[in-house]
Amino acid sequence: MKINKIASAIGFTLALSATANAGVLPDSQKQNEWYSAAEAKLIKKEQVAQSEQAFKAKNVILFVGDGMGVSTLTASRIMAGQMSGKSGEEGFLSFEEFPYSAQIKTYNVDAQTPDSAGTMTAIISGVKTDVGVIGVNENIERGKCATVAGNELITATELAEIKGLATGVISTARITHATPAATYAKSADRNWEDISDMPADAVEAGCEDIASQLVNFEKNLEARFVGTDVDGLEVVMGGGRRHFLPKDAAFNSADAISEVEGDRTDERDLTAEWKTLYPEGQYVTDQAGFDSLNADTKRVFALFNESHMQYEADRSNDIAGEPSLSQMTSKAIDILKNNDKGFFLTVESGRIDHAHHAGNAYNALNDTVEFAKAVQAAVENTNPEETLILVTADHSHVFTIAGYPKRGNPILGQVVAVGKEAPTLAADGMPYTTVGYANGLGFRDLGDETDADASYNDAAFAGRVDLTGVDTTTPGYHQEATVPLSSETHAGEDISLHAKGPGAQLAQGVVEQNVIFHIINQALELIEE
Amino acid sequence: MKAAILIASLLSPLAVAGQCDTNTGYAKANYTVTTDAVANKQHTENAFTLWRTPHQVAKQNPQFIELWQQLRNQQMRPIRYFQHAQRGIEYQPSEVQGEQDWSAKYQLVSNALLEKMTLKNSAGEGCELTEHYQYQQAETKIELTWLANQQLVKEMRISSPSYSRTVALTMVEHNKDAVTAQFAKWDNFQTTDYADIGDNESDPFLAKMINLGFVEHGATGFYDAQGNQLQSEHQHHH
Repeated sequence: MKINKIASAIGFTLALSATANAGVLPDSQKQNEWYSAAEAKLIKKEQVAQSEQAFKAKNVILFVGDGMGVSTLTASRIMAGQMSGKSGEEGFLSFEEFPYSAQIKTYNVDAQTPDSAGTMTAIISGVKTDVGVIGVNENIERGKCATVAGNELITATELAEIKGLATGVISTARITHATPAATYAKSADRNWEDISDMPADAVEAGCEDIASQLVNFEKNLEARFVGTDVDGLEVVMGGGRRHFLPKDAAFNSADAISEVEGDRTDERDLTAEWKTLYPEGQYVTDQAGFDSLNADTKRVFALFNESHMQYEADRSNDIAGEPSLSQMTSKAIDILKNNDKGFFLTVESGRIDHAHHAGNAYNALNDTVEFAKAVQAAVENTNPEETLILVTADHSHVFTIAGYPKRGNPILGQVVAVGKEAPTLAADGMPYTTVGYANGLGFRDLGDETDADASYNDAAFAGRVDLTGVDTTTPGYHQEATVPLSSETHAGEDISLHAKGPGAQLAQGVVEQNVIFHIINQALELIEE
Repeated sequence: MKAAILIASLLSPLAVAGQCDTNTGYAKANYTVTTDAVANKQHTENAFTLWRTPHQVAKQNPQFIELWQQLRNQQMRPIRYFQHAQRGIEYQPSEVQGEQDWSAKYQLVSNALLEKMTLKNSAGEGCELTEHYQYQQAETKIELTWLANQQLVKEMRISSPSYSRTVALTMVEHNKDAVTAQFAKWDNFQTTDYADIGDNESDPFLAKMINLGFVEHGATGFYDAQGNQLQSEHQHHH
């Protein structure tokens, strides 16, 4: 009875005063650091809620961590903390300290567990669509060029262009890969990255490959909306040079890996076409070129790798050098800021997804930590009163945090229980790791290999391995998996949206993924009815 | 300077006698691999073709081709092609560490192993300069017949109490145009990045090839400094 009364009293008065019933709390509770820190957090939230009433933004930056599910966030924040000598659990990734967040439902129209093409189309256009297609609605038939016409969607990037804002897209994946492509392209298949990837009938029917659409972005947008005059993307940075160059060694860049770097079979050099279209712009391919960019740069087209850019841990192994995601983000903002009307920038960390697919938690988490640094760079380089920053993922992965490890146990380590020093043994008598995968290639120990893709040589191996004496915290360790698959898969669970700045208040509750577009649209007033 | 380093790296330190005017940097070499296991008296025979240019090496089996490209920063980039499907899977360059050196790919035996072996005798000159080496480690004996100026294994026999294996050259051509054409043919196969497989499991080729497990754990024909058969690209890092 007494407990009920106290509970009721707390329930009725919490919203009015956090201290009205302070007298009933023992000092051991009131003065507990956990208690006071949480109380301070709530007070801060009240203050933020009262002060942040602005809904309209000058700039919007959309960050997408490809495959960055909630378990990836948790594990990454622990790893980030442990990398700086802390226990890890108590920390936050930069964007986890944003005042607003929502839970996002990711399914595609035809798929319970989605892919990046369908999810990014939803995020950037406000319309959920089918798996594998880009910038088109669900009436499309994947791989059928003829079904594209009439089903194209307009994106926030295009609307921002029409509104006169500066626009940009950055990715550590190929810039023609599904997520970045959804900002500027319409394609019946995510794999139509250059003309050599397309079936002959699609080419004959007039469908344009994704790389070509990137270079022709301005022309295509003006053709689609007759009477509009736009100036094109100011910032494009990522990998994927192969899709822009002819299949001819004479066009190899200094950074080329392959004997023949380009894949295009139509003899077009899209980098040359871009330079002709934008003589004031700078085309760069390596770290030195990147370093030459500055705030006076009018426009940049940067293709740092033949294919995907390196994992953050593997960047030092690149031939000509590559910038980090945070470096690219800072530079992009410096350039986009030159437009007085504002800007819309999309930033993707594309290789979190790839590391998870390879069953390599180290690189997934390490790239997430770098992604958080990129968000922090954006926070520090923009005015919080005029810039809405959204941080989300496109989908999750079957990545789990399991067992009962003690506080501060290495997140990539074997489970050591509270009060113990030796690894906990499972029912099979063998130790096990905290993080693991529900499916995928399974165990392999590649030691100090920093390239997550280096696991290819062995077929999938599901199930248990005796990890006694194995250092599971190395970059080359690939976690055990339950179900053997050639590649670890996406997961169908919800992901998160974190928001900061004008209009961020609308990031609340459990919402469909396509709501994100409307949060962007509301803030920038892209569509004025 | 870079060119000088490159040339030095391609030359075996032991290949000094005479000259071979043939452009041995371009080669198509057919090999047989014969294995006899003592315990079960099992006898197996395999064949493969080694193709190489100065910066690319391919080992062609009937089903697939494993190709390595040597990059300017000395990394190696593997590509696996599937002949029947005319498709390929490309991988990111891996660091060359320890036993994973280019010479082991390029000439089947690493320079490190050659340096450890004892030269017993030599015969011939120029392109036909043939050197005979031996190496014994515990109960394993390696006998190598080495075409020094072609940087090619003519025959290598590895014997132990439990098994014996012989890798024998049956034919070699140094036709630059033919070799270049073959690499160009593979280069025209449609390729997929390994990193992209996870997003393309609906692709019938990828599903079939990967789920079957395309890695051969049998004779690879590549040997490390201890004379051990190299099973795969990355199994020696730990």
